[in-house]
Amino acid sequence: MMLEHVLVLSAYLFFTDIYGLITSRNMVRALMCLELILNAVNINFVTFYDLFDSRQLEGNIFSIFAIVIVAAEASIGSAIVSLIYRKKKSTCINQSTFLTK
Amino acid sequence: MAIAEFLLFVLTTTLGGMFLCGANDLITIFVAPECFSLCSYLLSGYTKKDVRSNEATTKYLLMGGASSSILVHEIELQEIVNGLINTQMYNSPGISIALIFITVGIGFKLFPGPSHQWTPDLYEGMLHSWFSSFRDYECNRSIRRQKDHPKMIISWLLRTNQIRWFFFSIFLTCSYGTKVEKIEKNQSFTTTDEGFLEKLRIIIAFLSVTSKVAASASATRIFYIPFYFSSNEWHILLEILAILSMILGNLIAITQTSMKRMLAYSSIGQIGYVIIGIIVGDSNGGYASMITYMLFYISMNLGTFACIVLFGGLPPLAGFFGKLHLFWCGWQVGLYFLVSIGLLTSVVSIYYYLKIIKLLMTGRNQEITPHVRNYKRSPLRSTNSIELSILFFQN
Repeated sequence: MMLEHVLVLSAYLFFTDIYGLITSRNMVRALMCLELILNAVNINFVTFYDLFDSRQLEGNIFSIFAIVIVAAEASIGSAIVSLIYRKKKSTCINQSTFLTK
Repeated sequence: MAIAEFLLFVLTTTLGGMFLCGANDLITIFVAPECFSLCSYLLSGYTKKDVRSNEATTKYLLMGGASSSILVHEIELQEIVNGLINTQMYNSPGISIALIFITVGIGFKLFPGPSHQWTPDLYEGMLHSWFSSFRDYECNRSIRRQKDHPKMIISWLLRTNQIRWFFFSIFLTCSYGTKVEKIEKNQSFTTTDEGFLEKLRIIIAFLSVTSKVAASASATRIFYIPFYFSSNEWHILLEILAILSMILGNLIAITQTSMKRMLAYSSIGQIGYVIIGIIVGDSNGGYASMITYMLFYISMNLGTFACIVLFGGLPPLAGFFGKLHLFWCGWQVGLYFLVSIGLLTSVVSIYYYLKIIKLLMTGRNQEITPHVRNYKRSPLRSTNSIELSILFFQN
C-alpha cells in the first residue's frame, strides 16, 4: 500500500465533500458532507501514523478525538435541522431568506 | 428555555475558550475551538421558536463546521510539517500549504475579511427574536411580577457581581505573563429593570467577544511557535487579511441601516486592527498592544450590546487610545501601508459611530435621554479606570 494512493484518496474525499457541502440544497446532505470531510482527514492521520515514526506523530489518538467531536457536531447539527424542519416542513437551504442584505 | 441549560452553554463555551488560550498541543488546538464552537451554536439557537434565529444558527453551524474541517486538515498537515522541521527543511511547499490552511481555518473563527459573511446574519437573527419576545414580555404584566423568573435571577446575579467581574477582568489582564489568558467579560449594564433584554445581550456580547479573544490568542500562539521560521509568508497572509477586513468592515458598515448589522460590521473592522497587533508580535510590545486593544474592544462591544439603543459616545474614544498604541507599534516595525490603511478606516468608523450618537441626541423619544445620561456615566468611569490601571502596569 503506497503512501501516494492513500493521500490521493483522502484529498479526493476532502475536496469532493467540500464541494458537496457548498452546493447542496438539502441540509441533511450538507451535514453528511461535513462528516465526510473529517473522515478524509482521519484517513490521512492513520496512514501517516502507520507508515512513519509513530513516537512523535499522534495520528491514532487524534483520529479518535476527531471522531468524537464530529459525532457531537453531527448531533447538534441534526438537532438544529429538526428544529427547522418542524417549522417549515422541508429541509431546503434556499428557503430561508429572512436575513438578506 | 430553562436557566440551567443557558448557564451550562455559557460556561462550557467559556471553558472551551480558556482551553484554547492555554493550548500547548495540536490536539487541544482542535478540541478547544470545537468545544467553544459547538456551545456557541447551541447558544445562538437558544430561542427555538423564532425562525430567524434558526436560520442564523444554521448558517453559523455550516460555516463553522466547514472551517473546523479545514482546521483539522491543517493540523494534519501540521503533523507532516513537524516531521519536516525535524529534518531541517524550512522552505518546503508543505509548510506553505499548511500555513494557508490554518490561516483559513483560524481566519474563520476570528472573522477577518473574506470569511465575514455569517456574522451580520448571526447578530441580526439572534437579536430579532429576543426583541420581539421582549415586547410581549413587557406587555404581559403577569410575567413581570414573577420574582423568581430565571430572567430576573440572571439580571440580579449580574448586577450584584458587576464590580467583582470588573476587578477580576483587570486582574486577569495584569497577570498576563507569557501565556495568553482569556479575559473575562466586563459587565457594564444599566440599572434599569431590563432583565430579559440583558440575557439576550449577554449572549450576543459574549459570543462576539469571546470568540475573538480566544481565536486571536490561539492565532498568536500558532503563528509564532510552529511557524517561526516562515514568518515572512504568514506576515503577508495576515497583512492581506487585515487590510481586507479593515476596508470591508468599515466601508460596508457605512451603508447599513440596521443597527445590529452595523455593529457586526464594525466588529469585523476591529478584528483587522487586532490582526495588525498579531503581525507585530514580539518586538516593541506588540502583544501588549494587542491585549490593550482587545480589552478596550471588549468593554466597547459589551457596552454596545448591553445598550443597543443607548450607545454612549465614550467607548470609541477609549478604544482610540488602544488603536493608537497598536498603530504606533506597527509603525515602528515598519508596516507603513497597513498602518495608513488602519488610520483611514478609523476615520471612516468615526462616521458611523457618530451617526448613532446623532440619532440619540436628536431622537424624538424623550424617555431615552435619562437612560443615556445614566449610561454615559458608567462607561466613562469603567473605561477610564481600565486605562489608568493598564498605563500604570505597563510603566
